[in-house]
Amino acid sequence: MSDSDADPPDDGAKGGGGARSAAEATDATDSPLEAARGTSGIGNRVTAFMDALTGPERNIVSAIATFVGLLVLATVFGVIRPAYLLYLLSLAGMYLLLSMGLNVQWGYTGLINFSVAAFFGLGAYGTALMSSSDAPILGNFPPILGLFFGLALAGILAVLIGIPTLNLREDYLAIASLGLAEVVRVFVTNEGQWTGGAVGLSGIPRFFDGWPVLGNLSRGVPTAAANLLLVTTFVVVTYLFLRRVHRSPWGRVQRTIRADEDLAKALGKDTYRFKMESFVLGSMIMALAGVFFAHLQLFLSPGVMLPTQTFYVWIAVILGGTGSDRGAMFGGFVIIAIQEGTRFIGGGLPIGPGPLRLFLIGVIIIAIIRYRPEGLLPPQRELVWPGASSDGGDAND
Amino acid sequence: MSQIFQYFVNGLVFSSIIVLGSVGLSIVYSIADFANFAHGDTMTVGAYGALVTLPTLSGIGGELLGLPLGFYGALLVGMALAAAIAVVTELTIYRPLDTDAIGMLITSIGVAFVYRAALQATFGSDFRSYSIERSGPIPGIENALNVTITERATVMIVCAIVLVTALHLLLQYTTLGRKMRAMSDNPELARVSGIRTDRVLLATWVVGAALAGAGGVFLGLYSQIDPRIGFDLLLIVFAAVILGGIGSVYGAMAGGLSIGMVHEFTPLLTDVGIPIGTDYASAVAFIIMVVILLVRPSGIAGGEAT
Amino acid sequence: MRRLATDTWLEKTSQGGLYSRASAQPAWSQLLAVPAARVARLGMANSNTGSLSTFGQRNKRGKQIALDDINETGVLGGDLEIIEEDTQSESGPGVSAAQKLVNQDGVPLLIGAVSSGVSLAIYKSVIQGSDVTQISQNSTSPDLTNFPDLLRMSPTGAAQASALAGIVNEDGHGKVAVTHLTNAYGVGVAEAFDEAYGGESKLFPHDQGKSSYSNVITSMADYDADAWLFVTYQPEFTTMAQESYDSGNSGEVALYGSDSVKGPNVLEQTPEGSLEGMKLVAPSAALDQDNYKQFAQAFRDNHDTEPTAWSAYAYDAVVTAAIAIEAAGSTDPAEIKAEARGVTGPGGTEVFTFAEAVEALGDDGSASDVNYQGVSGPIDLDKNGDPKAFEQIFQIQDGEYVSQGFIAGE
Repeated sequence: MSDSDADPPDDGAKGGGGARSAAEATDATDSPLEAARGTSGIGNRVTAFMDALTGPERNIVSAIATFVGLLVLATVFGVIRPAYLLYLLSLAGMYLLLSMGLNVQWGYTGLINFSVAAFFGLGAYGTALMSSSDAPILGNFPPILGLFFGLALAGILAVLIGIPTLNLREDYLAIASLGLAEVVRVFVTNEGQWTGGAVGLSGIPRFFDGWPVLGNLSRGVPTAAANLLLVTTFVVVTYLFLRRVHRSPWGRVQRTIRADEDLAKALGKDTYRFKMESFVLGSMIMALAGVFFAHLQLFLSPGVMLPTQTFYVWIAVILGGTGSDRGAMFGGFVIIAIQEGTRFIGGGLPIGPGPLRLFLIGVIIIAIIRYRPEGLLPPQRELVWPGASSDGGDAND
Repeated sequence: MSQIFQYFVNGLVFSSIIVLGSVGLSIVYSIADFANFAHGDTMTVGAYGALVTLPTLSGIGGELLGLPLGFYGALLVGMALAAAIAVVTELTIYRPLDTDAIGMLITSIGVAFVYRAALQATFGSDFRSYSIERSGPIPGIENALNVTITERATVMIVCAIVLVTALHLLLQYTTLGRKMRAMSDNPELARVSGIRTDRVLLATWVVGAALAGAGGVFLGLYSQIDPRIGFDLLLIVFAAVILGGIGSVYGAMAGGLSIGMVHEFTPLLTDVGIPIGTDYASAVAFIIMVVILLVRPSGIAGGEAT
Repeated sequence: MRRLATDTWLEKTSQGGLYSRASAQPAWSQLLAVPAARVARLGMANSNTGSLSTFGQRNKRGKQIALDDINETGVLGGDLEIIEEDTQSESGPGVSAAQKLVNQDGVPLLIGAVSSGVSLAIYKSVIQGSDVTQISQNSTSPDLTNFPDLLRMSPTGAAQASALAGIVNEDGHGKVAVTHLTNAYGVGVAEAFDEAYGGESKLFPHDQGKSSYSNVITSMADYDADAWLFVTYQPEFTTMAQESYDSGNSGEVALYGSDSVKGPNVLEQTPEGSLEGMKLVAPSAALDQDNYKQFAQAFRDNHDTEPTAWSAYAYDAVVTAAIAIEAAGSTDPAEIKAEARGVTGPGGTEVFTFAEAVEALGDDGSASDVNYQGVSGPIDLDKNGDPKAFEQIFQIQDGEYVSQGFIAGE
């Protein structure tokens, strides 16, 4: 879950792993950022910050920092070009956004949603149909309108999918949501006269198309940087919004439903309504990621809505730790590393990039559930109710 | 009109495949107690198992029901391979896990990916076919009943009936079958009454995966073989299982038959003017599944013991 | 788009970080070793897997022979290298492949793709508005003609379609069922056929990559035509042929096919005799030219089989690109783009090999000085980026493709 009393994370763009996360300490009530602020001098601040983190957090932070450090080194030495590096970071940001959406549904409320790909796809298709020069319907509207349209479509679909499924037991909800996502995908694939069908939609403009300064950037580093800026903005806005939501009474009810739905009902809450709200909120965040994706790739095909896409996001979430957004960022990096990294393997291994990717994903899932089912970075400080001190709060999750 | 009869025949053929998948999935679901998302890829394993052994076995002469005897040998190999893989997976991956049904579900997704990756790495992702002569529709049936059905299709239906009957006999008349039904009904009681539940579980995996493997071989016979065919069918098989009611083999049979029929009857919609094309056949099956979940979550025969 | 001053700086540094990437050695080793000879690097988006993998293989072979020929002379004093990425015969992976080649590898010219839909997607999403030149090696959809900057070595399918219409008419069929892919290639060729053909016809679209097409076959059978035309890829066509046979339909109708259904796998995997008499039209190379004969000999030596026109197009794509680089005198994308079209003619000294072209260019020649006559024909890219067309008619006789003659396109 989002941090309760945390300060907003740093810009995720350049090596910000170390200073990114901040939350209450387990033993102390000082947040690491406050601990860092309390001292002077860079070295002292970093030390104070790291000291205030828990063990697992320290590992993750170090891992992210090392990872990003390696990427930066690789760029300096020309192994990775800056434009491509920024592109990879943008994709990681997109997965972070998807994970945050899933965390709302699964982490807050305990809904097993296997239709992530459908919401992602609708967000993407919504904005593409609105803004592409090639769209069979609509088209040529500014991407901002596309954003709203994509989110709206996702919200409507969430209600439609939620109505029959939200009261089902867990595994049925998984199967049913997967089935309905497939219905959406089949629909988009077949109704080519509205969606471009299997052929796909091209000619999608960049998000900043038509803006005074940002709209005139040339390809390569400037555009890649602008895209990264865009996804970071989305992530930050979503994060701040979720942080408020998490702290609100609404958030408390969601956590109660996840822990024990009968208790929530006994307390008089209309759990169905709360679940639906969580479902819609999560789906709109996923759609936001889809909007970004459309304006990044500038091309869409129904393949983005395959179940594999849903499973990628699930891996990011469970790898990182259910409910933890920092963990989800780590999970996102891993996913991108697998997706794009395997492309570079080339003739080195006897196994091609496609099957290698599948294999790695499969092995990671099995390994996580086997050895660390709570994920690599489960919620640490969020176990405590916001505002409660370390000796008083009741834990959930 | 004869079109409807043709759809019915097509439905029988497709249902054979679905039933083999759904029955296997249903018993695993009820006894191992989780939704096995690797079931579709288990079917694919069976298909490839048969694919590699068929060339070796086609040396055996003779025919049965129009297909070479070597094919039936390959079928058995496919089933055995699927069963073996399932047992290994159970012993090395599922058994040591200490997690709830959802954790197992997610793990099985990982297992599915591993199966698929192995197949894709070994065989590539292009379509293959069994090197069996295609002989076109059976003339006698075509003339008499005005429906086209090939020999391979009749073999599929016959084999499915044979296998499912064998399962029925297993469940009703053998000790193992009794134990399986007991475990499905009430695992705690079964354990307490001395049944070696882990052995019965292993046997369930063998049976379930062998049936899935057979389904996969026939799926490959029906269309083409490529690493995705099993997973693409998985949701339809789930739909059949849910329709029939988890835990009931007979429900799974009924569910498989129904879903298979619905799938093949979709052209009827366009025939009567409803603009839902055959591309939506699987979508229709999923919607039916969701409706069942809403209206009668226990399915046609749900809640009953196998 | 207006280039900001910073862009040029950024691009120069991003060409290779702090160290030049013109060498073929991995970047880290340049810290230690003396840089090797300069290498010119191009990108190729090829369909190594998926429905068009047969074409992918044909292209690979043609490309390799071209590289061997070119590197005997060398480009800009060094070697020519081609970085190849797999499009998986699909637009999504194709666009990703192109993005990697253009953004990560920084190639000034991209050869791609096989599928017309993929070529168009790459063009619209990655190439359009940039300085990178795109040459499609195998795409034949008439749609590419609408994009003048998208060059190609393979002729437009419109030529094929009108040839097919002519043959169907000649054979006396009044009613045709046309089944085609729902992508740019399938729709383009089918619609062109429809226009050229005078009789009754109906289009039956189908999607790529499905495992069963029995409902398409059934619909076509219901339409009750005398002839069926297939505009689809080999795996899809194989499935259709098998299912048609299973449902008792083959043998009842005359069969026709566009270039993409022709291939040895098709003949192997369909029931014997089920396709007997089928007529196909496919683009042809310049079979009589000397340079083609040399190319064909090299091909035979390496692969023990005759080349197809597709390998010839891939060969020409690489050679044209190399000549353009020589004419530009650098690997700067904009400069190459200015030369690419013109090196294929029609004005300038006729040259038939890369070595001849280099000689004709001399020290500071440009595109108008040279007219490359490819192994596939005169090329002579027009203002839409399309080459001249030659089509060949085939018929399946006794399980083999037998040539029935040639048709020149407009």
